[in-house]
Amino acid sequence: MSDAALRPDTQEIVVDEVFPHRPETIWKTLTTANLMGRWLMMPAGFEPVEGKRFTYQTTPAGAWDGTIHCQVLEVKPNERLSYAWKGGHEGNAGYGSPLNTVVTFILSEVEAGTRLRLIHFGFVLPRNETAFQKMGEGWKKVVKNIGAIVGETD
Amino acid sequence: MTPKKMCAVFWRCQTLIVRFGQRATTNLPPKQISLDSSISPRYCFPMIEAASITAVMRALADPTRRAVFEQIVNADEITVVELTRASSVTQGAISQHLKALKQAGLVAERPEGRKVYYRAEPEGLEPLVDWMSHYGVFWRDRFANLRTLLKEIDP
Repeated sequence: MSDAALRPDTQEIVVDEVFPHRPETIWKTLTTANLMGRWLMMPAGFEPVEGKRFTYQTTPAGAWDGTIHCQVLEVKPNERLSYAWKGGHEGNAGYGSPLNTVVTFILSEVEAGTRLRLIHFGFVLPRNETAFQKMGEGWKKVVKNIGAIVGETD
Repeated sequence: MTPKKMCAVFWRCQTLIVRFGQRATTNLPPKQISLDSSISPRYCFPMIEAASITAVMRALADPTRRAVFEQIVNADEITVVELTRASSVTQGAISQHLKALKQAGLVAERPEGRKVYYRAEPEGLEPLVDWMSHYGVFWRDRFANLRTLLKEIDP
């Protein structure tokens, strides 16, 4: 566990799904650069070795060039992979603002295949004001996007 | 529960709500919530709060109601008559939609004389903001890609 997990004012994103495949197969997609490139993003310099540094290239924003700086923190083959995920710039709000987070994949064998849990933690909550108030005019745009998401409940 | 209070509760257990929202929108069977060392104990909040996001999602799942809500958002304040004028449905239907939006905490009303003015309550949407946050969407998209890739390499 990194110190990000211990910061009380942070939150995490969790995605938790069962895939009808063996843990070994899923592990390959998490740790082979070419396969990572096919579902996640193509990493530069990745190796499933603790301490290894690598990067992902994402969309730039303001003074940030879009590079995500990662470092492998934990490798337990077919069970657990964790890496630091850092990027952003002080000058940005929302997308592109500073990120000091950790991404962890946890695999566990279940009857139907493999349960894969992604925990992306260390997102810092804005202080004194909600993210929503900060969004200001942006929130009208958000409303437009809701349809796409809630539409799926039908 | 007032929208303000509802939001305060939401804010405290965002993670649970994100998980719940994910389940609500994909119609997956309920997942067991585990409490292993990798996940903080915040997960053991009762499900009462999570029921509220269902109300928000239900309220906005109806396209007509969503259109009504968008109209309210774009106006600072608006009356039922004005909403009806801009819509293809009856005033009675609009009133029903307003009732649902009010119950979900998305709309507030202010009576003035014989008129009632409606305005949007952005706080009501707060639980959805995190859900829609960049990485929330990012990872769900990527998991969908992964599913497709796995089918290809391991049919």
